[in-house]
Amino acid sequence: MTALMPPPPSSGYALVNDLREPAAVANIHRTAPDEWAREELLLAKLGARGWGRVHHFRNYYGSGWGEHAGSMLSPRALSAFFRFVDAFEFPSGVIPSVFLTDRGGIELCWEEESRKSVQVEFTRTDAEFYREATGEEGALAHGALPQLVLRLSA
Amino acid sequence: MKDITMPDAFPISIPERLPVRIEPCPIVEAIFEARFVGPESWATLPGLLFAQVREKYTEQKNLPLAQVPEEFRRQDPALQHLPLMQFLSRDFLIQLGPRVVSLVTKPNAYPGWLAIREELDWVVQRIKAADFVGETERLGVRYVDFFESDVFSGLRLHLAVNDQPLLGAQTDVTTVLRRGSLAIRLRVTNGAIVGTAQGPKPGSVLDVDAWFGPLEVDLFENGLVRFGEAHDTIKGLFFGLLKPELLATLHPAYV
Repeated sequence: MTALMPPPPSSGYALVNDLREPAAVANIHRTAPDEWAREELLLAKLGARGWGRVHHFRNYYGSGWGEHAGSMLSPRALSAFFRFVDAFEFPSGVIPSVFLTDRGGIELCWEEESRKSVQVEFTRTDAEFYREATGEEGALAHGALPQLVLRLSA
Repeated sequence: MKDITMPDAFPISIPERLPVRIEPCPIVEAIFEARFVGPESWATLPGLLFAQVREKYTEQKNLPLAQVPEEFRRQDPALQHLPLMQFLSRDFLIQLGPRVVSLVTKPNAYPGWLAIREELDWVVQRIKAADFVGETERLGVRYVDFFESDVFSGLRLHLAVNDQPLLGAQTDVTTVLRRGSLAIRLRVTNGAIVGTAQGPKPGSVLDVDAWFGPLEVDLFENGLVRFGEAHDTIKGLFFGLLKPELLATLHPAYV
């Protein structure tokens, strides 16, 4: 799995034939510029299934999806989700599930070692969480993601 | 997160003193772009925007991608952020797509940053009034510069083989750098063809695209400031890449 989504073409110039993109290869996925590290992160922490689901949520779910006319995935929610997944260490051997929510948020769910569940929904404005083991729930602004990581790691 | 494409230190030294003018100006076009998500369908966007900008942007035209069926475009992520139509004024054009709107300078007619900043201010206000941007996904500035010569010999950047610069071969180099919260895609190629007033010309292109992500930008709250920051960074990067010999051919003026 590799590499780069070609940048949008510029009307300002064209490349000579020798330097043009080779024809697309069906089993090579190219990420957008700057997103290679994010794609690697998703594959490592959410597995191929989670990676594929996020890819679909981003690209194929427009306004009005689903039975309840769901909203498009919020770019701010997705960025916060990436920051959290990057910083948080999930329990060994646990691969979280990922969902798109009706209001355009993205939700992570996993089980702790006690077999109790944790849910975190990243929305346009904040991250809302619920921890079954302790009964804790609440919402933290995107700027407070490091605190959320610490809280759910304890 | 692995950091292969994101070195901590910015690798290009930006000069303390930057020219205010160069001649001949190599800028082919400059693009100031906002990607967004919003509740409106594509069918309504052109009308909403045109109603706000028609006093200056009197002409409109569809781009070739507009002929591709919407269902097909929606299924290809590479097409989702491309514009489908243009609104043209005397000095600028506005490009609009289902998830992108941009202000673009006319080809080979760069009007200068002060004129651009003034126009950006006006256009952003008009977009706000059109009320179709729900959330800003990405805010970027892109400059495309053209040189008739092989530009690699004039840049502090090259491709090396066996530790020796590879010069003279057709080369296309793309890398992504980070400077603070700004991501920068730098592309240099010596195999480009550019349309000029004298017809198509072969040469080199320096193509720099710099952008902020959704947590760092809101088009209507800090968009103009972010456009300015991206512009300043691209300008610094451009002059930081040029060797003195190439810079001298552009006759830089500092006041």
